[in-house]
Amino acid sequence: MNRPVSRGSIISTIIRKDLKEFSRDRFFTIMTVAGLIIYAIMFWLLPSTVSETISIGVHQSGLDEMFEEIAAEENGGLEFTSHKSSGALRAALGLGKEEPEQKLNIGLDFPEDFLEKVALGEKTTVKVYTDSNVPPEIRLALSGWVEEMAYSVSGQALPVNPPDEENIVLGEDRIGNQVSFRERMRPMFAYFILMMEIFALGALVAAEIKARTVTAVTVTPARVSDFLAAKVIVGTLVAFTETTLLMLLINSLGTSPLILLTAILLGAVLITGFGLIAGAQGKDFVATLFYCMLFIIPLAIPAFGVLFPGSASVWVKAMPSYGLINTIVGVTSYNEGWSEVLPELSMLFGWCLTVFAVGWFILKRKVESL
Amino acid sequence: MTGPAIDVKNISYSYQEKKAVDDISFTVAAGEILGFLGPNGAGKSTTIKMLTGQMPPRSGTIEILGRDIIKDRVAIQADIGVCFEEKNLYLNMSAKENLDFFASLFGLKNVDTEGLLERVGLADHADDRPKDFSKGMRQRLMFARSLVNSPKVLFLDEPTAGLDPSSSLAVRELIAKEAESGAAVLLTTHDMEEADKLSNRVAFINEGKIVAVDTPENLKLSHGKRSVRVRLKDNGKVKEEIVSLDDVDAGDRLKVAVGAAGLMTIHTEEATLEKIFIELTGRGLHA
Repeated sequence: MNRPVSRGSIISTIIRKDLKEFSRDRFFTIMTVAGLIIYAIMFWLLPSTVSETISIGVHQSGLDEMFEEIAAEENGGLEFTSHKSSGALRAALGLGKEEPEQKLNIGLDFPEDFLEKVALGEKTTVKVYTDSNVPPEIRLALSGWVEEMAYSVSGQALPVNPPDEENIVLGEDRIGNQVSFRERMRPMFAYFILMMEIFALGALVAAEIKARTVTAVTVTPARVSDFLAAKVIVGTLVAFTETTLLMLLINSLGTSPLILLTAILLGAVLITGFGLIAGAQGKDFVATLFYCMLFIIPLAIPAFGVLFPGSASVWVKAMPSYGLINTIVGVTSYNEGWSEVLPELSMLFGWCLTVFAVGWFILKRKVESL
Repeated sequence: MTGPAIDVKNISYSYQEKKAVDDISFTVAAGEILGFLGPNGAGKSTTIKMLTGQMPPRSGTIEILGRDIIKDRVAIQADIGVCFEEKNLYLNMSAKENLDFFASLFGLKNVDTEGLLERVGLADHADDRPKDFSKGMRQRLMFARSLVNSPKVLFLDEPTAGLDPSSSLAVRELIAKEAESGAAVLLTTHDMEEADKLSNRVAFINEGKIVAVDTPENLKLSHGKRSVRVRLKDNGKVKEEIVSLDDVDAGDRLKVAVGAAGLMTIHTEEATLEKIFIELTGRGLHA
């Protein structure tokens, strides 16, 4: 009679076999290595600074004093330059024959008779040029500002009494501390690496089911739970290692490594859960890819939310990947600590447990039904 | 252990409303090969699944090597070998790595996997991956895998299905050797010739029920005719004569036939296993 075998020994045997299979799968090996290198290179090529100054060119006559006053008072990132003619202003805006050295963001072209017409109460037109990158709210503000200026020049009061303002910034005031495009892409790259592993694990599991190799394993002293435990450990280990490696390559573990490693570990467990579900459903490569995409696309929404601030709705906060993305952003971009990221990490932990339990249950049932 | 290696009593299994296995009982002794014969969907695979611990029977008991499959599943699985109909090998691992992996699952170190590969004629392909193997080579590797823990009980599910004659012969020889060395073998097949050549006893299963269990010889005798068909050429014409072995002058008539100058062929009229199966179930094995 053969001696009983310990569970640990069986699980580690399956893990070693899985890692061997992983390393021999050319597609995933190339995807993983190329992904790491390409994402790291892309990260370092992205701009790391944000130009916070909006350059405004003005062509006017008779309003010198007013603009000098405005320029002297302004400290919120507006830079005024004066231009002698409409043509010079247009050239500085890039509308001339030659490309200017530094293009203006906004141009205000006051007609020569602006003062006279305003003083006489006649209608006049000020041309406002805005670069396509200028946010729409600033374009609107400029129009209001020109109108206000006209009232002021004519010595009339505004037709309404503007209320006193108290400027309240919601969240952390990012003036002077804006997040660069490189910073915004950081969680995106981490997410991409993790998502690649959903597919890798899903394909590994699907291959075992399709070839029925799992049946060959479970008629030995190995139990279904040993098989599942090995897959979970391999999936988590590979995803965690690769994401950590990427974070090292893009120099992102420096600030609070423990928080980031915790978030990455939870993220790795989360994607392992999704990988188990996708693997259990996928009958072949294409089907596995389909099921993986079903998870990958919605899970990417929080990462896109970081990329395009203001684009995400409140429901995005309920997404399983939100806690992961927000923790990475908070720690790497805003130096947040445990107390700030704890709610996000707790939510991520909750999702991990849920997705993991569902993945385990579905795959167990699938294996037992073979 | 003194009792049978496999002792199955009144087991049943249903998939929803359909009874796949319906109250069957049989035994297999150590060193014996029991051929489990039946067409697709007869309940062979379901029975194997229950016997190998992949799923519990809905009713009845299964004892393997004197232990209950439900209570001692893991311990039993350490002493059995299973060769599946599907070639479920790890295609990206070499033949030797496949065997080493399964040996590790049994907690066995220093298993002579190269020796096993030699036994199945794959010694020269130890480092090759099964994805490059022919069907016959894969089947032989599957068989080698089922022997990695030196099992006392072997479950072989259609071990020669789809193989060429020489590969089939090689696998059959290996099975016979294992039985000779004391392993109890349960062989499921719908190949009558294979069952006839290999099995000490055969069990016919149809629609989840065992309809007959006996040695091939006994089945043939009990269901065949005790007669001999003799064909002779006499004056350029072919003549056929059936000699009943129960006739008083049967011996003399056969002597004459054997001594005749024009004797062409002489055959016993015993039934084939296939004919017996059809007679018992009303359907063929390939139905």
